[in-house]
Amino acid sequence: MDSNKKYWKGLEELNKTPEFVEKNKHEFAEPIPIEDVLSGDGLLGKTPRRDFLKAVGFGVGAVTLAACQKVPVHKSIPYLIKPEEITPGVANYYASTYKGHAILVKTREGRPIKIEGNPNDALAKGGLNAQAQASVLDLYDVSRNKSPLLNGGEKEWSDLDDYVKLELAKIKDSGKKITIVSSSISSPSTLAVIADFITEYPTAKHVSYDAVSYTGIIQANQNSFGKAVLPHYNFDKADVIVSFGADFLGTWISGDEFTRQYVSNRNNKSLQSKKMSRHIQFETGMSLTGTNADVRIPLKPSEEGVALINLYNAITGTTLPGSKKLADNTANNAIAIVAKELQAAKGKALVVAGSNDVATQVLVNAINAALGSYGTTIDLDNNSNQYKGNDADLVEFINEAKRGEIAAVLFLNANPVYDYYNTKDLTDALAKVPLKLTFAASMDETAAVSTVVAPNHHYLESWGDDSAIAGYYTVVQPTINPVYNTRQAEESLLIWSNNAVKSYYTYVRNNWDKSVLALGGLSGQKGWETVLQTGFIKVADKPASAYTFSRDLNAVAQTILSQSAQLVASGDKTYELHLYQNVAIRDGKHANNPWLQELPDPVSKVTWDNFAAMSLTDLKALGLQEGDVITIDANGTSIALPVLLQPGQAEGTISVAVGYGRVKGGAVIESGIGKNAYPLHSFRNGTLQTTAVAKISVTGDQIILAQTQTHHSYEGRSVIREASFTEYKKNPYKNSGKDGEHKDYKSLWEEYDRPTYNWVMAIDLNACTGCGACVVACNAENNVPVVGRDEVRRRREMHWIRIDRYYSFNEEGKSITEEHEIDKLKSLNNVSVVHQPMLCQHCDHAPCETVCPVLATVHSSEGLNHMAYNRCVGTRYCANNCPFKVRRFNWFNYWNDSRFENYLAEQHTQLVLNPDVTTRFRGVMEKCSMCIQRIQAGKLQAKMEKRPVKDGDIKVACQQTCPANAIVFGNGNDPNSEVSKALRSERTYYVLEELNVQPGIGYQVKVRNTTELEA
Amino acid sequence: MASHKESIIREPLITGKNITYAQITDDVLSPVENKPNKAWWIGFTVASLGACLWVFAVSWTFWYGIGSWGLNKTVGWAWDITGFVWWVGIGHAGTLISAVLLLFRQKWRNSINRSAEAMTIFAVICAATYVVSHMGRPWMALYCLPLPNQYGSLWVNFNSPLIWDVFAISTYFSVSLVFWYTGLLPDIATIRDRGTGWYRRIYSILSFGWTGSVKTWQRFETVSLILAGISTPLVLSVHTIVSMDFATSLEPGWHTTIFPPYFVAGAIFSGFAMVQTLLLVTRKVLGLENYITMFHIESMNKIILVTGSVVGVAYITEFFIAYYSGGEYEQYTFLNRFIGPYWWAGCMMYGCNVLMTQVMWFKRVRTNIAMSWVLSIIVNIGMWFERFVIIVTSLHRDYIPSSWAMFYPTWIDVSVFIGSIGVFFTLFLLFIRVLPSIAMAEVKLLLKEQSEQAKLEQIKAGHLDRDQVEFYKNSLKKFDSVDVSAYENV
Repeated sequence: MDSNKKYWKGLEELNKTPEFVEKNKHEFAEPIPIEDVLSGDGLLGKTPRRDFLKAVGFGVGAVTLAACQKVPVHKSIPYLIKPEEITPGVANYYASTYKGHAILVKTREGRPIKIEGNPNDALAKGGLNAQAQASVLDLYDVSRNKSPLLNGGEKEWSDLDDYVKLELAKIKDSGKKITIVSSSISSPSTLAVIADFITEYPTAKHVSYDAVSYTGIIQANQNSFGKAVLPHYNFDKADVIVSFGADFLGTWISGDEFTRQYVSNRNNKSLQSKKMSRHIQFETGMSLTGTNADVRIPLKPSEEGVALINLYNAITGTTLPGSKKLADNTANNAIAIVAKELQAAKGKALVVAGSNDVATQVLVNAINAALGSYGTTIDLDNNSNQYKGNDADLVEFINEAKRGEIAAVLFLNANPVYDYYNTKDLTDALAKVPLKLTFAASMDETAAVSTVVAPNHHYLESWGDDSAIAGYYTVVQPTINPVYNTRQAEESLLIWSNNAVKSYYTYVRNNWDKSVLALGGLSGQKGWETVLQTGFIKVADKPASAYTFSRDLNAVAQTILSQSAQLVASGDKTYELHLYQNVAIRDGKHANNPWLQELPDPVSKVTWDNFAAMSLTDLKALGLQEGDVITIDANGTSIALPVLLQPGQAEGTISVAVGYGRVKGGAVIESGIGKNAYPLHSFRNGTLQTTAVAKISVTGDQIILAQTQTHHSYEGRSVIREASFTEYKKNPYKNSGKDGEHKDYKSLWEEYDRPTYNWVMAIDLNACTGCGACVVACNAENNVPVVGRDEVRRRREMHWIRIDRYYSFNEEGKSITEEHEIDKLKSLNNVSVVHQPMLCQHCDHAPCETVCPVLATVHSSEGLNHMAYNRCVGTRYCANNCPFKVRRFNWFNYWNDSRFENYLAEQHTQLVLNPDVTTRFRGVMEKCSMCIQRIQAGKLQAKMEKRPVKDGDIKVACQQTCPANAIVFGNGNDPNSEVSKALRSERTYYVLEELNVQPGIGYQVKVRNTTELEA
Repeated sequence: MASHKESIIREPLITGKNITYAQITDDVLSPVENKPNKAWWIGFTVASLGACLWVFAVSWTFWYGIGSWGLNKTVGWAWDITGFVWWVGIGHAGTLISAVLLLFRQKWRNSINRSAEAMTIFAVICAATYVVSHMGRPWMALYCLPLPNQYGSLWVNFNSPLIWDVFAISTYFSVSLVFWYTGLLPDIATIRDRGTGWYRRIYSILSFGWTGSVKTWQRFETVSLILAGISTPLVLSVHTIVSMDFATSLEPGWHTTIFPPYFVAGAIFSGFAMVQTLLLVTRKVLGLENYITMFHIESMNKIILVTGSVVGVAYITEFFIAYYSGGEYEQYTFLNRFIGPYWWAGCMMYGCNVLMTQVMWFKRVRTNIAMSWVLSIIVNIGMWFERFVIIVTSLHRDYIPSSWAMFYPTWIDVSVFIGSIGVFFTLFLLFIRVLPSIAMAEVKLLLKEQSEQAKLEQIKAGHLDRDQVEFYKNSLKKFDSVDVSAYENV
């Protein structure tokens, strides 16, 4: 509808006055002085309007262009064609093998990121040691050989093959010798490949040797029973274990397997049935095994043989010629008592010795035979394949080479230039070998002198198999395409030996189809696929038969005694030297692995260095302080090392770890870590021996060792609670504080509601051996940064879980734990050790939570103490207020700081990171999260399967790798869960429970089976 | 007030003959209105070099991370929080002088309150720099403020003493600043009135249009009183809250209920020592002996003696409670202060703070300028060590012996601390150049009654008790700025 209403703004408009009409002609009612501006000062001013507009235009344009500058973007590229088996964000697990252990390899988006034990592994039942956990990092080592090398120049594989085949053919024609030098090989297929190679080149010979040798035991078994093998030991069947320097829980043969066996007689289950094994250790330096012994007697290397002879005499009632008493009365008594105990436990006794001397091991065989150990605790019929090396073979090879008989040498997983004791001899010998070929994965010392480097795959890129013990076959399958242009050594050998089968995969398949699959009742493709899933075939053990010892021991005793006499150190500043393997670094093959270098030695807590361990008495006599550098002179060479005060070190001895002082093979190695102690070995009686007489001199230098723990006693605090087995049997609550009236602490705080889950943990101090596998497992699972030696010296290691190791000293039946009393002790020989894994206790009344100004650390409804990295501003108050000191601060940006690039601040190496766990920026606090990513994954899995989380569904990384099963994790709200059962143990106590922080981790009292010896 | 005279036995607060209002203005403003002398330039050069060192060290820390300090997994705070508490403590004297002494009508405060308050402000600035620089991620410092946000809304943790600290320190700083500036207004107006050109214009703006009318003065007095009322609780609350950073924790050696009064006493103790350190030099260099007299020096020494003894009693109480509690960790911590690896730090703390200050019972020490100055430095050192002992010696050996560790400072730690002293002195030296270091207006109030010349007049006028006059004359002997011979014939 049209409106004819008229609106007007004023009477002028309504009346249309002339003024209004005039004004309305213009756009604006009032004139705008635009003319004035344009004609006046506007254009004549210093910044005319036009210039101003130009400037604005240019400025805006420039800013816009500058804003278009691309910031560096790291593109993540999605799969164009997604592989069927890969779902981003979901891990795949592949069965494989690490050094004879069946393992599971966790891969994410095609990258192996974590090694986990196969729960059905015959050796450690899912437990893995630190080396296995750390092995995944070697895959991403940037210092690996990236392609084959010929005389130092990069070559194609085909060129290399042509060259090597031509050379080998020439040698074959000339009739000169070829030697394959390898460390022990337990893989049946690899051995078959080598056998085929030898068939093709009949002058070829395979020499096995191990940097740390077991030739002594193997030869002794040949000598005693006609079987040149390493037996399979059953520590679980032994009620009394006596070890002479054998670190069987750590580095000796199969540490994690023995740990599992050993702990089965000492853990909660065993204690509840009032059963606990006895373990007596006689040794020179303090080993991991020694720290766990019920009784530990320090013994010089020169006394070991005499002690064994005395033990044999006491057990059999004979007297071997030349027998004499030990100088130390305690040791004499111990031998007498131990002999009685062993006899009482006949058939359930085990004596082991770490010596590599044949005569000594023959005597040990005799003792074990007398104790009826064969067929029970020692199994010679299902022998171990883990070590097969023969020292004499290597020496023979060197002699042949020096005579110019050897035309080619192939080094497979062997680095003799570093670990052979007589470097000069070897170098001279190798100089006369024209073709020196190594399969080394990195430019190690041997690769440096080799003419051909045919880099081997990392085991995670390889096919293969293994058989650590007779009747146990495990499969190796690749979990990633080869990262670099490397080729599996076996494949190279197949190609060079013109084998009909050129692919090692096919070779392994054929080998398994032919001889292995049938053992497990499998066959064909289906059988093979089953094995790839289960990971192994275990044949039922052959019945272990008893062996009787019938050799004459007189000559053996003579040899032992004359050797012992040679070892007696006489004269000023002369000591008996003892070489050993460190639990973290072992023989030094993995020295380039920063996780292992930063894993503290379980006993000394030293990282990134080796040292000379000495007793208090000797240090005082020399006037030395910890860290003073001494020169150790033995066997014509000398090395300079800082001294370390080692309680329990036999007086008059020095212990030095091998595996350090490598010079080539990666950035970590080349940063200079420790000194090489291999040259201090000597070749005696056909084997390499780890003992010598050494003369020392003081250099006056000082080195601060990077120790993660510098205070070694627990000051009588209830942090550590111990009881003897006798006390425990009388009163299982002994020292746990749970007997009698339990103090009820009043709380100022309200209880948190934990409706469904209450994640808690139980740690059995009696099961934990302190090996440190959990530390590396945690590093790998939770992307824990490596900080290096300097930062460890500043006490800034980042480990979320650490193992506290405390010494206490026994003086007149009293346990001495306080610093000021220890300072008064003259000798630190009589030492007891306890290991305590320490990690965030997830306190229900967490002191860290109340003090955080920004609520970056808060409690969850599942009993966990969370850490929100994004919120953290880094005041460090939480760490100060943590009574357990388990919080770790990111002092630097460990992920992108050139000072840390040898470790994990390297882009390629960072492929090992667990994508489920964020890396932490500098300035924020971090700590154990109880593997919250695993908890979440477990809960999601259960949710998808529409069921509640079952006990055991979720395993935290430290728990999973523990060969001793010392760590139990689970839901405390479920009374039937393993953890609830463990926490109900009479032995359970909480560290610092008197503070009423209500820790979520219960510890079980350490029990020592010490009584009989004291009585 | 002006109608009756002050008792003769009270010591004069201003000495010198023929002091007039103009004379006071001239004396006080001499450093502001003239070119700086050589001493100032030397001091300023050294101080600003220190300030540059601070900028460098803090930049280094921000660039590389807190790792460039010597802290570790066991000792998470060391020189940083030691420095923070030390500076906050030093600030306390200013507030005490300006607020509490005003309420108690202690007129001698008029000569020293300006410098003391300035010192408070600068000390709190130094402390605040530590608050930010000790953070792992200082660029996220705003998380410590309860700002509305879109995280849910995510607030700060009101349970955390660090949050209380944020409030305490910021309140303290703002109130102190306002109080200080209010007091400055009439003096700034004086400078304005005497100045010309741009100089005058600046001070004109700064004086907020002070007119000097009776009404202005009356309001000025009222505001001063109100601000004094507001500030007084702050004297107690700020260091109480700072002490709660420790007292509310679980750490043996920190978890102590005596901390609030102990810290407040310690703060006043160290604050007066710092005022003493500064003023003894200032009065000499700026020639202000007539306004900051021996009476002031001795009074401050008395306060140092009293608070030092209070602190001593607190130390003894701590030890007794550690013994009496039977708590093994607590006992060890206190034993560790003497027999542990940091025994020397403990000795510095107890020796400097308690033993050394006891010599102030002697009047000859209290009235000796050189000794007072040395003692004030000793107290400053001792109080730094007190915080170091509380923080580092407690942390380095707490509950779990495996984590026991030592703390070794790096050159960055040292530079940040020395640098903060540089910052402090730079600010202080700039302050005495641009603002009157003595509250002129307030000192002028004393001239008619409490000055030496007024008292001399009084004596000359007679009608006084002879004994009292004699007493007064004797009390003048200690003054270095009084010519006692002038009284011989009176």
